[in-house]
Amino acid sequence: MTTKAVGVWPFVRLKLRLTANGLRGRPTRIVLFVLGVLLAGFFAIVGYASFAVPGVIDDPHVAGMLLPLGGTAVILGWLFFPLIFFGVDESLDPARFALLPLPRRTLITGLFAAALTGLPALATLAATAGMVDSAARLGGPVAATAQAAGVLLGLFLCVAVSRAVTSAFATALRSRRSRDLAAITLALLAAAIGPLQLAALAGAQRADWDTVGSVARVVAWTPVGAPYSIGLDVAEGRTWQIPLKLLIALATIVALLWWWSTTVESAMVGATAGPRRKTTADTTRPPVDLLLFRRAPRTRFGALVSREIRYWWRETRRRASLVTFSMAALFLPVSLTLGAGSPGSMTIFVGALASLALANQFGFDGTAYATNITTGVPGRVEINSRATAHAIFTIPLLIAVAAVIGALSANPARIPSTFGLLIAAYGVGLGLVLPLSVRAAYALPESTNPFAMSSGGGPAKGLLAMGVLIAAVIISLPLQLIALFIGPIWLWIGLPVGIAYGAAGYLIGSGVAADQLDKRMPELLATITPNRS
Amino acid sequence: MSLHGLVKHFDTKLAVAGVSLEVPAGSFYGLLGPNGAGKTTTLSMAVGLLRPDQGHAFLLGYDVWADPATAKARLGVLPDGVRLFDRLTGPELLAYHGLLRGMDAATVNQRARELLEVLELGSGNRTLVVDYSAGMKKKIGLACALLHAPRLLVLDEPFEAVDPVSAALIRDILQRFVAGGGTVVFSSHVMEVVERLCDHVAIMSSGVLRMHGTLAQVKGDRSLEEVFVQVVGGRVATGSELAWL
Repeated sequence: MTTKAVGVWPFVRLKLRLTANGLRGRPTRIVLFVLGVLLAGFFAIVGYASFAVPGVIDDPHVAGMLLPLGGTAVILGWLFFPLIFFGVDESLDPARFALLPLPRRTLITGLFAAALTGLPALATLAATAGMVDSAARLGGPVAATAQAAGVLLGLFLCVAVSRAVTSAFATALRSRRSRDLAAITLALLAAAIGPLQLAALAGAQRADWDTVGSVARVVAWTPVGAPYSIGLDVAEGRTWQIPLKLLIALATIVALLWWWSTTVESAMVGATAGPRRKTTADTTRPPVDLLLFRRAPRTRFGALVSREIRYWWRETRRRASLVTFSMAALFLPVSLTLGAGSPGSMTIFVGALASLALANQFGFDGTAYATNITTGVPGRVEINSRATAHAIFTIPLLIAVAAVIGALSANPARIPSTFGLLIAAYGVGLGLVLPLSVRAAYALPESTNPFAMSSGGGPAKGLLAMGVLIAAVIISLPLQLIALFIGPIWLWIGLPVGIAYGAAGYLIGSGVAADQLDKRMPELLATITPNRS
Repeated sequence: MSLHGLVKHFDTKLAVAGVSLEVPAGSFYGLLGPNGAGKTTTLSMAVGLLRPDQGHAFLLGYDVWADPATAKARLGVLPDGVRLFDRLTGPELLAYHGLLRGMDAATVNQRARELLEVLELGSGNRTLVVDYSAGMKKKIGLACALLHAPRLLVLDEPFEAVDPVSAALIRDILQRFVAGGGTVVFSSHVMEVVERLCDHVAIMSSGVLRMHGTLAQVKGDRSLEEVFVQVVGGRVATGSELAWL
């Protein structure tokens, strides 16, 4: 038998074929795909227009700042977005190639080419092509050619960095030992983005353009800025810099691909043989005591609440969402104070955000939810127990947030009424989120990679959760306005009024959710069952 | 268990096309069929996990879709391809099932320990179920289905991925369950197991019930495998194809 060397085209064709098959006969996915195309097109046009500005206004000084810094922002986007928000497209899962006789080099270049085949890469290429436009206007065809090469290298760098980092994180999360550490690092990263943004804005307001210019000159020598600045170097006659910068970019790409290939290999091996180790000694306590917490009632409700509490802590995805929210909730008031705002201005937002963790609560369970159907758990008990378990984690946290806000505004007397606002928004949020969790649940992939997103309607339903967040803030807004208008009396009545407001929201919403659940248990199970391929 | 004209479509595909089946109380009933025949879909509709497009399912005389609480009370289910709450340990999982079934804590403790010992899972084992082997997962699933002493057991592929020793143990437990007056319905595509255990058999393919009755009625004087292949319409390799093997 003879084999031919495998190039990159089979991988690219496979990727295109998988994308096409994923769309066939599924109108909702086609709609989502079209939305994705529109979004990518928007990004491409806005990006192109912005990067072409320095050329149009014929200002090499602006170009010297915008090109390296803008390019850096694009690369950082490729680094962070998949990690925190979108996940990576795992349609070509390396583990599926484990049994094929492919050399590592072939596999990596193939997967890399497939990763380049996609809307995000296309949009990035189109957006950064604006830099070529600028380079052409500033330095003629030679500069444009150089910048085009730089833009291509930059795109390769974007894709390589996102693949290498997500793959490394996924590998870390697969092993029990480093998993917790990786999850917490991620949560910290996610939580740091908001404050960082505010800090950058505050910095931008104060900084003068000379500082920005010198930052840009330094960045142009780092791997993230180098590929985007070579066209300008041609235009300004610094040709000696070009080979050096090309070398920097190329070496970084090769190093990233090499890093990726090592983690891909361990992912492929890990897919076929996982370590199994008994870590804890046997116990003699009776099973019921093992499940239930000490003061939980020994009933159906107690069992459900205890199971949920254990799940919030034992399941990586849930724990990551808890840790992320805790960080965001505690740091938001701090960063608002730093940004010269009032630490309490985001209070109802934080309260409503807390409830959002339950937006896809049944999706977290997946098919395991079948247990609760076959044992006939009524909808009301199911909904109340889940909300109780979440509140057991959330309410102490909200008290801490209220305390932080009180401390930052140097007014401890406002702690109870702030907590009242938080709990009102949390209750209203739950009231909206619980029916949503029944009606708009979606399947999460049963993957060991927490960044693997479900392809399909999942992200769109995630957007619904955003809508709910806004609605919860609006519904809680009257309370905040009352607090502003009645002034000092609010300090006294804030807590009871807030609790009553939140309780009312919760009772209405949870009642609706329970009714829905009683009618739709099998349908809910079907929507949270991942498609088996 | 009694099924009347169950129908289920998935998108445009007809998965189950009108299945009616009477399972006599106290019988050991095997549901046979090739992959994709609609066994899991049928059993899911029978136990209330999947809403049928048409038809009715009765468990011990109660309509599953009209009166789910009563119908499910004396039913034990082991679904296939469905996860358990696997971030719990074995004992925790059993306690969870017991309390959800409304049993009192003392009974749950006593029965859970006994089941864990008999199934060789260890009553003090603190490994999470997610780290169990495939065979152990089947066994803990079976323990969960048995905990509340049901009168009807519906098991989807209980012998899949189970090693011979565990399989013998499961067979033994199921036989004792039937001898004690319980009813077992299970699906499988392993002929030997069905032939050895069951007194009633039904053969499904392409969403339709092809044959059903007592084991003797169905197989006549042939082997069950011969009947199965003939009914399902499988082909036997002739020898001309795959010559390069």
